[in-house]
Amino acid sequence: MADGQVVKRAKYKSSIKDPGVPGVLTMTREKCVFKPSDPSSTAKLNIEFKSIKGHKFTKEGSNKHALLNITQDQGGNYIFEFNSFPDRDVCREFVATAIASSVEAGRTGSERSAVPLHNEQLSTAEMERRIKLLQEDSELQKLHKQFVIGDILSETEFWATRMKLLDDKASRKPKQRVGLKSDMIFNVKPSSDGQSNRVTFNLTPEIIHQIFAEKPAVRQAYLNFVPIKMTEKDFWTKYWRAEYLHSTKNIVAAAAEAAEDEELAVFLKQDDILVNEARRKIRRVDPTLDMEADEGDDYTHLPDHGLPRDGSKDVMDSQYEQYRRSFLQDLNRHAAVVLEGRAIDVELGDTRSVAEALARSKQVELANEASDGNVNQERLDRISRMAEIEDLQAPRDHPVAPLSIKDPRDYFDSQQANALKTFGDTLAGTKQMTSDLSTSEAYGSLRESISEIKAVGLRAPIVKPEVALKVLNGLNQNISSTKYQIGKNAHESVLDRLPKITRDELLLHWTSIQELLKHFWSSYPITTTYLYTKVGKLKDAMSKIYPKLRDLKESQSDFRHQVSLLVQPMLQALDAAFAHYDADLQKRSAKSGERPNGF
Amino acid sequence: MKFQIEDVTVYFPYDHIYPEQHAYMVELKRALDAKGHCLLEMPTGTGKTIALLSLITSYALSKPSSLVKLLYCTRTVHEMEKTLGELKLLHRYQRLHLGDAARTLALGLSSRKNLCINPAVVSAENRDSVDAGCRKLTASWVRALAVENPNIPTCQFYEDYEKAASDAVLPPGVYTLQDLRAFGKEKGWCPYFLARHMVQFANVVVYSYQYLLDPKVAGIISKEMQRESVVVFDEAHNIDNVCIEALSVSVRRQTLEGATRNLNKMTQEIQRFKNTDAGRLRAEYNRLVDGLAQRGNLPIGDTWLSNPVLPDDILKQAVPGHIRKAESFVSLLRRLVQYLKGRLETENVEKEGPVAFVGSINAQVGIDQKTLRFCYDRLHSLMLTLEITDTDEFLHIQTICDFATLVGTYTRGFSIIIEPFDERMPHIPDPVLQLSCHDASLAIKPVFERFQSVVITSGTLSPIDLYPRLLNFNPVVSRSFTMSLTRDCICPMVLTRGSDQLPVSTKFDLRSDPGVERNYGRLLLEMVSVVPDGIVCFFVSYSYMDGIVNSWNETGILKEIMQHKLVFIETQDVVETTLALDNYRKACDCGRGAVFFSVARGKVAEGIDFDRHYGRLVIMFGVPFQYTLSRILLARLEYLRETFQIKEGDFLTFDALRQAAQCVGRVIRSKADYGMMIFADKRYSRHDKRSKLPGWILSHLRDAHLNLSTDMAVHIAREFLRKMAQPYDKTGGSGKKTLLSQEDLEKVGNGSLGEMLF
Repeated sequence: MADGQVVKRAKYKSSIKDPGVPGVLTMTREKCVFKPSDPSSTAKLNIEFKSIKGHKFTKEGSNKHALLNITQDQGGNYIFEFNSFPDRDVCREFVATAIASSVEAGRTGSERSAVPLHNEQLSTAEMERRIKLLQEDSELQKLHKQFVIGDILSETEFWATRMKLLDDKASRKPKQRVGLKSDMIFNVKPSSDGQSNRVTFNLTPEIIHQIFAEKPAVRQAYLNFVPIKMTEKDFWTKYWRAEYLHSTKNIVAAAAEAAEDEELAVFLKQDDILVNEARRKIRRVDPTLDMEADEGDDYTHLPDHGLPRDGSKDVMDSQYEQYRRSFLQDLNRHAAVVLEGRAIDVELGDTRSVAEALARSKQVELANEASDGNVNQERLDRISRMAEIEDLQAPRDHPVAPLSIKDPRDYFDSQQANALKTFGDTLAGTKQMTSDLSTSEAYGSLRESISEIKAVGLRAPIVKPEVALKVLNGLNQNISSTKYQIGKNAHESVLDRLPKITRDELLLHWTSIQELLKHFWSSYPITTTYLYTKVGKLKDAMSKIYPKLRDLKESQSDFRHQVSLLVQPMLQALDAAFAHYDADLQKRSAKSGERPNGF
Repeated sequence: MKFQIEDVTVYFPYDHIYPEQHAYMVELKRALDAKGHCLLEMPTGTGKTIALLSLITSYALSKPSSLVKLLYCTRTVHEMEKTLGELKLLHRYQRLHLGDAARTLALGLSSRKNLCINPAVVSAENRDSVDAGCRKLTASWVRALAVENPNIPTCQFYEDYEKAASDAVLPPGVYTLQDLRAFGKEKGWCPYFLARHMVQFANVVVYSYQYLLDPKVAGIISKEMQRESVVVFDEAHNIDNVCIEALSVSVRRQTLEGATRNLNKMTQEIQRFKNTDAGRLRAEYNRLVDGLAQRGNLPIGDTWLSNPVLPDDILKQAVPGHIRKAESFVSLLRRLVQYLKGRLETENVEKEGPVAFVGSINAQVGIDQKTLRFCYDRLHSLMLTLEITDTDEFLHIQTICDFATLVGTYTRGFSIIIEPFDERMPHIPDPVLQLSCHDASLAIKPVFERFQSVVITSGTLSPIDLYPRLLNFNPVVSRSFTMSLTRDCICPMVLTRGSDQLPVSTKFDLRSDPGVERNYGRLLLEMVSVVPDGIVCFFVSYSYMDGIVNSWNETGILKEIMQHKLVFIETQDVVETTLALDNYRKACDCGRGAVFFSVARGKVAEGIDFDRHYGRLVIMFGVPFQYTLSRILLARLEYLRETFQIKEGDFLTFDALRQAAQCVGRVIRSKADYGMMIFADKRYSRHDKRSKLPGWILSHLRDAHLNLSTDMAVHIAREFLRKMAQPYDKTGGSGKKTLLSQEDLEKVGNGSLGEMLF
């Protein structure tokens, strides 16, 4: 719904009393369009969501009309009457999300159009969400206090970089479908009280669900027997009795019990539903796996031909055959059910509804399979894919879409210009190296020096030995002292060794610098006065932090070295920002010299 | 790509080729040129199948006048489908380059059960009922009756196929079983009979081993193949066992009881015919005087399994006089059944050679050797005369006649073993009389004699000099290829101890030790938490697997394993196993990961590939020795020692190790693939065992990996998986080339390639 469009039958009313023009309301992301059924009618509407400020609606009630009132920011409003409340609600929600997204779009757009943003209209929900986020995250709160309350950033600017945070919270679905557990939970051991022969089984809804999913015969029996023939408790008692008989592996005893008790026999016998399902599924199995076909082709193993193999000996009388069941089969069945995943969407409390829902889902599956014709084709494609040897053949279809550039020269020229510009931006002041050496000259000199080195060898070392030694010593000292300070525990971070106050201070500076720099760099290139003032403010805030950092770095303590190591990159980042700011300012003033009325 | 090997232009459907594939083709070509048999071992995962198909079809294309035809034998139907899949790829490529000149017909052939499209027939439970169901509708006498009486049901597909007569042909192309069925449905022709008919004209036929090796089947399917045909046995490391099984029969009490019922039924039928249509029986008598050679002229719908020995000489002789009459033949069979019943009553294990056994039959019930030899064909003739269509009801008497014919034909290489009970369950009387064949060369001999080139190939044929002895033939080329790897993409390890340093083994005295079971369980548990996607475990037998899984379940190890991966298990029910495999693949595809428990020598180990993410690790729990107390095995070992001077221990180790190698070899499909193999038994660290592994595994088995404990193995696995996840250069970089392009091939030419490689 959110990504598509909504089409509903509705009446357009100019006022509430108006009888309305019947027609079709189509809503897409950007706009809503109303087309009257009578083509000659003039009540055609085309409203962009951008211009819509809000919406109102009537409460659901028996004698009220399902109305939706959309308010435009110029003051106009449109009233639609729907045939039913569900229809209206669908549209209402759509309008709400559409308005929200257009507000967002407007926000980013408005930054560009330099409209001051403090008059932003916030829904209460939005506000609450932000407050909640701030409450949850103390660090965020600190930043918010420092910058927004300190009037360095506006509220919108602060949140604009955290759009994701807001979105995620909003779009996260509370309900997630839970898969089945890999465990065979119904394979529970009974608890016994140790004195009598009595054992107790604890059944949870989850266990019952698993039993029903894996043993359709039990499910069917439940639907048939409970509660007409027996109570739920009796049913499960019988079930566990049958399980017990299986676990003893005494097939003859099981057969004897089954002969006496026909309900018990249901649990003891082979699961017919499963057998049928297997027969159905075997037909759609990958032929490169189909061992059943193989058996059909095996003339060596005619009955009594060939050599007896391991395990094939325990043939038994056919009257007991149907009571045979192995744990291995249960394992296979369990894994298959887990793989299929949870098929039903019912609360697990009510046993009967679970059983019914499972039975229904099986029928749906059957119907789907019957109608699904192209499974076969898919299977064949798969086989032919599998037949190929992967590395002898260059991969067929690349998953990556090829880059399509209409005019390559145009594209690369512009790229080059961009690169040059940024180069100029960051290294403003340093001159570009220009050389008027021709290629042949350069080549000649290079060759000369190479042949010289070849002839003479590298006589003079590139670095003077004493300098090299000094650098090496300096570096080693640093490393060894750090090692000494940090100790042998590699997991301990440098921060943990610092006194708490220093650490907190450092972290605070770090986060605030990050925040500021993020805003700072995202404001370039400066195209509007709004950005210009913003950058100014940011620069001021940063230059306030700068001396603090320097103090921290220079403060005398045992950890001076570590602290300075940590502070150094921050200072460098700030220096880079200042340099860029200054360069930009110079460029700007130079430009404004030519163009005095530039902003 | 397209390249020359000597005078043959080879069409290969990929842009690149492995050097060993090229070398393989060169050797194969030499064998074809020499018109002799060959034996080629090439590691799995180097594309044997496509190399074979590509060379032989190209060879046939380059010599259009020769009658070279490819009979490609696979062990299983699903391998057949895989082979045909690769053939399709190749055919498409050849068509692209040669156009209509590359028109070939290739088809797979299987039983009615897998090809029938008549819903009323194919829904039957097993193959024999499908066969019988088909016969009930298509036998010549049924159809003759149906002409007069429209109420008698016939098979519409068969009728339409017959009506189309010579027009019923398959257009050139590659047909898998599924394609055949689809084609049959579209045209309304019976795919089974169409395929059987088209086999004579096809350029490539893919079918199961038994269609050539088992005389019962070969007699009707493969009798019209030209001598120039090239026969390929792929995955042939077990070929000796297939041969032996094709000629072995066992008789139980149930068989004899069933046979008696069959004989009663036949007596009734004979009586009925005597009263109504005595002329039929007389006609049969006259026919039998001339011998059994009429079989070739039977309508196609009437044939069924043929004589269990290749009947060339039998067909030309007249049937002995005293069994030409139907009643006397039935009474002779009764006497035979009675005699066998008496033999089953024994309380001790008995072992006899065929000569002594036939002598005793002759002495006690007066049936001589020559008569015994004719039993199967005489029965066949009788059943046709009696117009019996429900052949699935008469399997028991067929078994008895099979037995009689075999025992009457061969004087050596067989033994008859009568066991009153299975020694694993001595308290349950279950007498069985087994005629077991020990000499694999008997069944394959006619194949070597009839066809000029027989190619035997597999990933594991080590030691390669043993096979010519076992099968009694002289290959012109016998070669074992190594594998040139771009990176060390296989990582075999021998695990001898658990984390607690106690040895692990499936040796008889350690097998059920709880410590060993626990150590095996912990090994798997550690591995499932480290290895992504699919893991395959092989156990030495069903009963061992059943025991250990139950024990893991009780100790809670299984539960922990299931927290990491889903567990699927091979059971003795093929339908269930197939579905489990299908689900296993799904679980690997969707990223959930799974473990598959399987059995060495089982159906899964025989032909299911666990390549790529379907198998990143194989664990072989124990050494899969055969059940050494089995009398059949003991008799075979004795025969091998006396005839071929092969020591018992050597043969058992060879057999166990080829199974183990086969199991672990299923993880690799190409050089881009990778996988680990763990041999979890302390006995693998012994040199005499380990050295029997094929060279391509041994060459990657580092000395440091020979005696590992669980924790060390986990560490190695982690390292290996991390290494394999890195990108690499597929062509092998600067050193040895492991992937050749067309230019590479042209550059090095034919001659020097081999030297560059090895």
